[in-house]
Amino acid sequence: MTMPWSHVDRMIPEYCDGRLSAEDAARVEGHLERCAACRCAAEDFRFASALLTRLPVTKAPDSLWPGILAGLDARDKKSKKDSRFVFLSARRLALAAITVVAIGVAAYWYSSRVPAESWQVSDTTGNAGVDRVAAGQWLQTDASSRLRINVGSIGFVDVAPNSRVRLGTSQASEHRIELEHGEISAQISAPPRLFFVDTPASTVVDLGCAYTMRVGDGGEGRLRVTLGWASLEWRGRQALVPAGAVCQTRQGAGPGTPCFEDASVQLQQALEALDFRNGGSGALDIVLAESRARDTLTLWHLLPRVDAADRGRVFDRIVSLTPPLPPDVSREKVLQLDPDTLERWKEALTWAWIWPLQPTLNGGVK
Amino acid sequence: MAVTAAEAEVGPETIDACRRGDRAAFRTVYNAYKDRVFSIALYTLHGNADLAADVTQQVFVKLMNSIAKFRGDSEFSTWLYRLVTNACLDAQRRLKSRSLAVDSNVLETLPDPASLEKAFARTQTAELVKRAVSALPSKLRLAMLLRYFDELSYEEIAVALNCSRGTVASRLNRGHRLLAKSLAHLRGTQGLEE
Repeated sequence: MTMPWSHVDRMIPEYCDGRLSAEDAARVEGHLERCAACRCAAEDFRFASALLTRLPVTKAPDSLWPGILAGLDARDKKSKKDSRFVFLSARRLALAAITVVAIGVAAYWYSSRVPAESWQVSDTTGNAGVDRVAAGQWLQTDASSRLRINVGSIGFVDVAPNSRVRLGTSQASEHRIELEHGEISAQISAPPRLFFVDTPASTVVDLGCAYTMRVGDGGEGRLRVTLGWASLEWRGRQALVPAGAVCQTRQGAGPGTPCFEDASVQLQQALEALDFRNGGSGALDIVLAESRARDTLTLWHLLPRVDAADRGRVFDRIVSLTPPLPPDVSREKVLQLDPDTLERWKEALTWAWIWPLQPTLNGGVK
Repeated sequence: MAVTAAEAEVGPETIDACRRGDRAAFRTVYNAYKDRVFSIALYTLHGNADLAADVTQQVFVKLMNSIAKFRGDSEFSTWLYRLVTNACLDAQRRLKSRSLAVDSNVLETLPDPASLEKAFARTQTAELVKRAVSALPSKLRLAMLLRYFDELSYEEIAVALNCSRGTVASRLNRGHRLLAKSLAHLRGTQGLEE
């Protein structure tokens, strides 16, 4: 390989990994002796390599193997079916055609009896059986009754006593119900944005999760997520709520700022004042002072919500709690609320939200 | 990183047995690579253990479905990591189209936070490295993970990432420099001397 006098930074990985020929390695070494910039690049590479050794290999869950076998079984069944089809005789093809027509007629007959969009609802207190209820109907539970609504094949919703729910559209691409007041618990296993719960103050959007939504008589709501993530949305205002976090919502104001349930009482009270009672800088002071590393969830949401004058304080607090600032995130871009920059920072901060426990030297948790 | 004992068992005979549909042989392959495949998916997908588990399952089902196409022109591991890379990038695209989904059980995958100061420092450092790696652009991140977890050669990484060897070197160089810059405050930490 010819190597005229020029920087060798592209060869540094192979040089540091010992993958260059002796001749090329000697040339790179010669260059490094004379060039501070490339020497610095080589030091960076070695330092980063040492950092990567701190990443542990994570054991794959034991539960994966049965799922893989199931996938292989499904493949084998399909290939057997396919190979059988090749040998169908003309007589069997005719029989199959008749069967297809019969199934079509039966499906038409069934669909003419059952509303095009209906929900399967059961009384979980045992007072009634399972029924199909057409879209558009209201369901009301009293002080002693509970209902379970099946959400297609993607999950279910439990309706608590003293709740009023309207069943909306139920299609493969969208399932939607309305919670007027009371409480529901949803458990959904599906791609995001297939299941929606409209409430007087916001819409809860499922992102693959389990959660409880409570709506008071005044339309105010509280979302509590127990698994995965959900989003509270109203007129372009959005709050992303992960497992372990809660978010309040008010009519006419939309979703407040999410926070973890184990955040300090002072933080939660100040946040409510900030979101719904014009708490101002005093409330923000308390939120900033009370925040821990995982409360950057709250602080990240506050960036576009606080005044430009306070945004820098929020930025500084996040950086102090979760150093370092990712390389492609700058203070300037964050303060400008550049969407891509905020998204990248969120992705980096997510580690603090996923792995919240930060041991302290005295054995506590920060 | 050294080749594991399980990985060493995956020879041409095992691959041939997989081609014939031998599930015991497939289990050998699975045991050899499952943790590294899962780890790469986990670190690529920002710690989302559910998604990493899905990707791992998809990779191994696809591996068995298409192993007849593996002609042995390249190393088996290179071929496998191409499947891993494609599955991770697909999953990441899906992840970007929605908000991040996070598994609360992911805590179980963390090493137990020991109270000893040394272990504490290591845990803290690992945490910072995870975050910094997570913030890197995905193409740089994948090249680094393949180099670190699997010690693939640059040619093998190039095949896995469907790019040239020069591009691999460039991505590794940029990725390592970004990582070093973002964690510069850890320079001099015990065990991290250059």
